[in-house]
Amino acid sequence: MDLEDLRRIWQEQDRKLSEILRADAHRAAESALRRAETSSRGIAWTVLLDLVLAAIPVIWLGSFVADHLGQPAFGIPAATLDVLAIVLLAAYARQYAMLRTLDWTGPVATIQQRLADVRVRRVRVARWILFLAPLLWALMLVVGLKGFFGIDAYAGFGLRFIAANVLFGLVFLGAAVWVSRRYGDRLRTNPFLRERLRDLAGRNLTEAERLADAAASFRRDDGPRA
Amino acid sequence: MRTVAAEEGSPGAGAQERFSALLEEHAGILHKTTRAYARSEPDRQDLSQEIAAQLWRSFPRYDERLPFSTWMYRVALNVAISFVRRQTVRRRHFAELEGHEEAPDPAGGASCGRELQLLDRFLAGLGELDRGLMLLYLDGRRHDVIAEVLGISESNVGTRLGRLKERLRRELDSNAV
Repeated sequence: MDLEDLRRIWQEQDRKLSEILRADAHRAAESALRRAETSSRGIAWTVLLDLVLAAIPVIWLGSFVADHLGQPAFGIPAATLDVLAIVLLAAYARQYAMLRTLDWTGPVATIQQRLADVRVRRVRVARWILFLAPLLWALMLVVGLKGFFGIDAYAGFGLRFIAANVLFGLVFLGAAVWVSRRYGDRLRTNPFLRERLRDLAGRNLTEAERLADAAASFRRDDGPRA
Repeated sequence: MRTVAAEEGSPGAGAQERFSALLEEHAGILHKTTRAYARSEPDRQDLSQEIAAQLWRSFPRYDERLPFSTWMYRVALNVAISFVRRQTVRRRHFAELEGHEEAPDPAGGASCGRELQLLDRFLAGLGELDRGLMLLYLDGRRHDVIAEVLGISESNVGTRLGRLKERLRRELDSNAV
């Protein structure tokens, strides 16, 4: 039996199936209309939510910086956090723009490459957040306590406490990366935490980059030989 | 560009009827795509609904200069590949609980043939884009149509198909079908 025989068998089966499926197709069309109206539009909505959530700290920190221009001990940490929040907002805005203009009726290889590129960007951003959060948490503490409760963290805890927290953040980050590389994939009970550990270990980034490379290679015609 | 929206404004009752008729006429594409990209029956149903819903959402932009089957294949494959990517993450967490149940084919024993089982296995072992290419080839599409659906050159289609056929031939030989 050669490939052409297989192809004929495949097409013969399809002919039989199309008779059965005509009845189902009407049901599929009706359910499509219902689902199209009720379902969200997937990842674009997730990114939109990220975008809105990222805009909140940008606005709040901007206002905090404006209120503490004459107090560099509070203004500088807040400005640092604000700059990072603006970078995050810009990254989400870029992802959202890429997804909003995505046309599902476009050529498959082009659309899949675009989706793979968005995925790489999303994983990179998630990874940066995980890396920076332990390092910046002392700044967040200083700004948060002052902004929400009017508490001066320098006076309340002292500079040594804050320096110790920065140091702790570094040690915590190192330990988290080690744990994520060694045990990340074994954590089966909590999918969310497992994904964050995979982000931290760089596994999700490697996978996303592999998919983006595969899509690019498919378009270039230099994929793996049979 | 002649689109459905340009002719009928936003999709209304007339568009719904036309959409249903076209979907009915090309139901095989929906079935073949879901069979190639989803393995369990619930996944197939889910994917089928997702494709149909995306087809309806995109229908106002359907450019009638393009054959409906070409346009439908584009949407179906784009949705199916994205579905597989999402399922990959989901399976990482729930594979142990779900297992992998192969769904029977509605043609009733049609895929029980050893040749078709082999073909299904071969398709399942391909990357998502190569699987789409092979699906279009098996469906009897010409190289220029495959190139249009996938957005690659005709020569690229020829080269890739040649490699895939060679690989399939080797698998057929090793299984002595």
